[in-house]
Amino acid sequence: MADTAATNTKDLSKIKEAIKRRKRETYTPVVPDSQLGFVHHNIDCIGCRACEIACKDKNGLPPGPRFRRVMYIEGGKFPEVFAYKVNMSCNHCAEPACLPTCPTGAIWKRKDNGVVDIDSTLCIGCRRCEAACPFGAPQFDPSDGLVKKCNMCIDELEAGRKPYCVMACMMRVLDIGPIDKIRAGTYETKAMGPGETTVRAIKNMANPELTNPSIAFVAHPKGKLGA
Amino acid sequence: MKKTGNTIARVYGAILLFCCPLTAVIAADAQPVASVVQATTPSLAAGLDYERARWHPLHFKPAIDTATNEQCLSCHQEVLEPSVKTQSPAGVKSADALAWYQTLEVYTGEQETFHRRHLVTPLAQQVMDLKCNFCHQGNNPREEAPVPPTATTKEAGFTLRKMVDPEETCLRCHGRHPSELMGLPGPWEETREMMGNSCVTACHSGIRTVRHQVNFLKTEAIEKAGQDNSDTCFGCHGGRQWYRISYPYPRHAWPGMPAATPDWAKDRPTESDVRFRVSTPVATTTGSPASTEAAKSGDTKK
Repeated sequence: MADTAATNTKDLSKIKEAIKRRKRETYTPVVPDSQLGFVHHNIDCIGCRACEIACKDKNGLPPGPRFRRVMYIEGGKFPEVFAYKVNMSCNHCAEPACLPTCPTGAIWKRKDNGVVDIDSTLCIGCRRCEAACPFGAPQFDPSDGLVKKCNMCIDELEAGRKPYCVMACMMRVLDIGPIDKIRAGTYETKAMGPGETTVRAIKNMANPELTNPSIAFVAHPKGKLGA
Repeated sequence: MKKTGNTIARVYGAILLFCCPLTAVIAADAQPVASVVQATTPSLAAGLDYERARWHPLHFKPAIDTATNEQCLSCHQEVLEPSVKTQSPAGVKSADALAWYQTLEVYTGEQETFHRRHLVTPLAQQVMDLKCNFCHQGNNPREEAPVPPTATTKEAGFTLRKMVDPEETCLRCHGRHPSELMGLPGPWEETREMMGNSCVTACHSGIRTVRHQVNFLKTEAIEKAGQDNSDTCFGCHGGRQWYRISYPYPRHAWPGMPAATPDWAKDRPTESDVRFRVSTPVATTTGSPASTEAAKSGDTKK
């Protein structure tokens, strides 16, 4: 009899919890105090991929997933030929598309610096974030069936250093900083030469209006939108 | 060591032999693509090696435009298999997880992958008619980028690091609900009660009466589901919002449409993309469009 009463009590609490959970929820994006972002010089990058390797080394990634990707873009007809590189990882978007898709809360945006972080131990491998990201940032690791992504080497940031990819760049064409200052040209960085300006997007990049990615490029003339 | 002409020729010969599969594909690319695709597709699942399969013409324009689901799934059938873990490494159980958009009344079932949610789950089968090449319009296995760059993402069919163009695919159903353009006093979450919790009854019985008449949706099923539950409408118009902008849907004319076009609609097309059009969109004033079959038979109410 006592057992039955206990079971009933437990069931009631479960029902109440279930009703509470069914309450309609909405999503409100995090607005960070400041937003860190990347800057990449498309023309001066030599495509050595040291950034990619440093990233894989730091994050212990097996063959396959690549948090950072250097893309070789070529075109034209002789003698008017051109080549440039585009280097992207997670763009730590102002309003990331990956975040609202995650059913377990494995992805979140840091309030202090805007880094879009992930705890892959909470990942159930549904891969919705991978599909939603317009920039291919979340990477599925087939070796353990989990999604992983760049977190801008948050441990390095917290130790006052820059991410491994930036530190590995021998040409100093990749850097991080407050994205508003990078865009305004007021951030001191070796990734931009004197008089050079940045753009938010280049040819064939997904529309930045989708998520407002925190990245700026010193674009190749042939890579500029409308060129 | 000084290289003689013969040595150089041998080196190049070796390179050519090594690249033979690639040159074969390039040569094949020069042939009419449709015939190559037709000739080789049945053998895809039967054992093309990985590299040959990756560079199969079916993966690229123009063949990808006419690829069938059967052709795609002959190699990629794993996308339809349930693969979500029952629990995460830290012990979060899939059955206990509930995202904000999963509190919509029309969201049912277990945690699933995005491919299954768009192709085989009950809601997908009820209201969607998606083909693999609705999203997948091309790729570049080597660079993950259109090379050479194209003027627009639409031209390439995919974007940097992505095998789809999210602006032309995902955004259609995962964009923001444009409540301010619709003249609502606030976001739908806040105004739904005020509007009688219905999109169709309150406003949309007579507006955009050819809505959803595209070949990737099941028109009549959507209209019916929308009448039954406004969460069906909101689900694809803000309720599963991944992106901060709305999709600029075509502005089809409707009976009684104001003559002046508002600023926000000035650049919009007035018809659906050619590749998504059904034979003849059927305009009705009831909010319950006649079937496209009716349109084919000429029995329209236009």
